Amino acid sequence: MELSKVDHAKYPFTVEAARYVKKRDLRIEDLASRDYAGIVKRARERIEEAIRYGEVGWDRDKEREYKVEIVSFPISIIMVLSTESNFLGKRYALAESKRAYNLLRVEKEDEKLVEIASSSFNWDVKTASETTRQAYDFALSFIDYLKNAPGFHDYKWKLVNRFMIDRYVFLMKDELARLIAEEARKHIQKRLEEKIKVKLPPTLTQAVNDIRQLLSTHRELIQAEEAPQMVVEEAYPPCIRALNEALLSNRNISHIGRFTMTSFLLNIGLSVEDVVKLFTSATDFDEKLTRYQIEHIAGKRGSGTKYTPPNCETLRTHGLCPGMDDLCKRVKHPLTYYRRRLRQTKAGRVAVKSG
Amino acid sequence: MDRSTVEAFIRGTFARYYHDNPVQPPTSMEKREFGFLLFRERMMVRHKTFRVEEDLRNFIESTTPSDVYYSAAYYERADEEMSRKGWLGADLIFDIDVDHIHTPCRIQHAYWICKKCEEIGRGVPPSKCPKCEGENFREEIWPCETCMEATKMETLKLIDFLTNDFGFSSGEIEVFFSGHRGYHVHVENERISILDQLARKEIVDYILGTGLKAEFHGLSEKGEKMSRMIVGPDLNDEGWRGRIARGVYDFLTSATPESPEKFEGVGRGVLKKFIVNRDALIEAWKRGTPWQAVRGVGIKTWEKILKYALREQGATIDTVVTTDIHRLIRMPTTLHGKTGFNVVEIPVKDLEGFDPFSGAVSFKGDSVTVHVNWADKFRIGDSVYGPYEKERVELPQAAAVFLLCKGVAEPVVQLKEKG
Repeated sequence: MELSKVDHAKYPFTVEAARYVKKRDLRIEDLASRDYAGIVKRARERIEEAIRYGEVGWDRDKEREYKVEIVSFPISIIMVLSTESNFLGKRYALAESKRAYNLLRVEKEDEKLVEIASSSFNWDVKTASETTRQAYDFALSFIDYLKNAPGFHDYKWKLVNRFMIDRYVFLMKDELARLIAEEARKHIQKRLEEKIKVKLPPTLTQAVNDIRQLLSTHRELIQAEEAPQMVVEEAYPPCIRALNEALLSNRNISHIGRFTMTSFLLNIGLSVEDVVKLFTSATDFDEKLTRYQIEHIAGKRGSGTKYTPPNCETLRTHGLCPGMDDLCKRVKHPLTYYRRRLRQTKAGRVAVKSG
Repeated sequence: MDRSTVEAFIRGTFARYYHDNPVQPPTSMEKREFGFLLFRERMMVRHKTFRVEEDLRNFIESTTPSDVYYSAAYYERADEEMSRKGWLGADLIFDIDVDHIHTPCRIQHAYWICKKCEEIGRGVPPSKCPKCEGENFREEIWPCETCMEATKMETLKLIDFLTNDFGFSSGEIEVFFSGHRGYHVHVENERISILDQLARKEIVDYILGTGLKAEFHGLSEKGEKMSRMIVGPDLNDEGWRGRIARGVYDFLTSATPESPEKFEGVGRGVLKKFIVNRDALIEAWKRGTPWQAVRGVGIKTWEKILKYALREQGATIDTVVTTDIHRLIRMPTTLHGKTGFNVVEIPVKDLEGFDPFSGAVSFKGDSVTVHVNWADKFRIGDSVYGPYEKERVELPQAAAVFLLCKGVAEPVVQLKEKG
C-alpha cells in the first residue's frame, strides 16, 4: 500500500516523507523568506513541545496542514543540531517517537504499519492474516524483532516468551507500534548525532537561542521531577548511584539493573507512582508497560510477591557492582547499606544539633 | 621421555596428514582472523590473515600447529589488533560440549595427570602426587560413548530449534564434530551476521528456556473462584508451547521417587502428588484437559514442574560461545590436538546415526608401538582397546595417536632410534 500525504505528516521519519521533502528542493537560505514562516514556526513548536511535554503534538487540524507538518520535521532536526545539546537531541528523538507510537497503535489499517516497517527500515514483516495465526495482528522476523526488543525490560519482550514459528515472531498491533517507534527514535537520534555546520538565517538563529533558553529553565525542572524528594540520595550504595546516573542520562540499563533499581526504590519507601514517574519522565517511553512491571515488583500483580533487590554477590555476577567503598565491605545487601548510611547521616545530624 | 619428544612425533604425523589431506578454508577467508595453537610452548598465534587458500594450506603444513582456529567474525582488517579490526559481522555459532551436560556417568571417567612427573590416576586428583609429591594436576575426562550420545541428543534438539522456530534452511546450518567431546553448529546468513551481543543473548535464552514464563505460553487461570479453570498448552502446539506440554508430559510418565536429583527443584511433596495421581493425569492428557485434572495441583505446582520441563526440552548450549561476537572457533577439516580426530562436517540428516569414534578418525596408517602409562577403555571404529596400565602395546595408527594426544602414552619407536 502507498502512504498518503497525511501519513507522511504523521510519520515524517519515513523514507516516503523524506522523498516528499527532497522533491521540494528546499535551501536553508529560503527559510528566511515569509513563505516559510509557518513552517519555521511549527519546527520551533515541535522542539518546544518536546522540551515541555516530552511528546510532539498531533491533532486533526494538522491533517489539513500536512505540508507544514512534513517539511517542519527536517528543519526541527537542523535546529536541534544547532543547539549542540545532546540532552535535547535525546529528548527530541524520544518525543517524536512517542508521538509515532501513539499514532501507530491506533492506525485502522494494519498494512500501514507493514508498509512503514518494510519500506523505511527494510523489516521482514507481514500481517498475521497472511498466515494461519489469526489470533495475532502481525508476524515479524526475529532478526528484526531483536533489533529493538532486547532494550525493553518487561518479561513479555524476551524472545523466549514470544510465540515464534519459522523465523516469525507473532505480535499485536500495540507491540509492533512500539518496535517501530523505537526504531524511529534510533533513526532520529542518529541524525542528531551528525556534526554538521550550517549557516542559519538570522530568524532561525534567534529561534535556536530561544530554544536554548527554554531548555535551560526546563532542564532543571525535568531533572527535579525525575528525582523524588523524600529519598536521601546521599545514602545510596555505589551500585544504585551508578544505576541512577545511567537512568538520568538515558543510558540503556539491563533488565536486572532496572529490576535492582525499582525494587530498591520501592523498598526504601517510594510509591509505585513515584517510581513510574522517575522512569517515564527520564527515559523509557511506555508508561503503561513500565507501570505494569513496577507493580509486579511491588507485589501488586502476578504472584503477589514483593521483591527485594538482589544481594551484593548477585549484583557482582551481573556486573552491576561498580566497586566497593568502606561500608560495602561490611554489608552483603544494598538495602542494608542504605539503612546503615541513613542512620549514620541522621546520627550525624543529631550530633551536630546537640553540639 | 619428555613431552617435547612426544609432541615432535605427533607433529610429524599431523604434518604428513595435512600434506595428504589439504584443509578446506572457510567462506570469506580473507575477512577472518586465524589463530594457531603451536605444539612448541603451547603458544597461541593470533591475528593471522590469508588471502589465498594456498597460503593457508602451506602455513598449516609448514608450522603444523596442534589446533587451528578462525574467527566467526568478519573484519575489514582482520590482521590488526582487536580495536582496529573493524567488525563487519559474525556467523551465529553454537558449541555443545560434554562439560555442560551432566551425564550420570561422567564422574567415572575423570582422571588426572601430575604436571611434574606425568603420573596418572583415576578419579579426582589427590592432594599430593603419590610418585613425586607434586601438587599440580591436569584434570581430564576420558571420552565416553554415553556422554557423546548425550551431546548428540542436545545437538539434535538445537537443530529442531534452528529449523522450526528460527526458520533456518538446512543449507544455512552446518554441523561439525568438535574433534573431542562435542559438536559445533554454524549458521551463515547475511541478515543474522550483524546481530549484536544482546540479540544473541536472546537467542541463547530462547534455546535454553532461560527466563521463560509459562503465562506467556498459554498457561493461565481463567474464571472466578468456584468456576476457576487452569488452561495450558497442548502436546501438538508449535514452538515453546508444545515443548512445555511435552516436557510436563515426560515428567508425568517418568517421575519416580527414587531419583530426586533428576527432578531437582520440583520438591518431594509435588513429586509424590504426581506419582499418586499419575494414571488420572495421563488419562486427562488424552482428553486434552490435563491442567485441571487433579485437585490440589494448581498453577503454582505446574510452574515447579516446568523447571524440569525446561531443562529437558531446552538444548544445553554454551552461553558464552554464542554471545561472543569475536570468538575464535575450531576450523573444520583440521585435527584436534587432544585426540587426533578430525573436525568433520556431518550432514544434518546423518547426525542421528553419526559415530564420532569412526566418523572422525583421521589416521589409517600402519601400527605403532607405544608405551601406555594409563588408559581407560576406548573404541576406534569397530575395535575396543584397553584398559592399559604401564605396558607396551602395538596399536593401529589412529589408536596410538589418540593415546599420544591424550598425553597418556609415549612412542617406543622414537626411543629405539635415539638409543
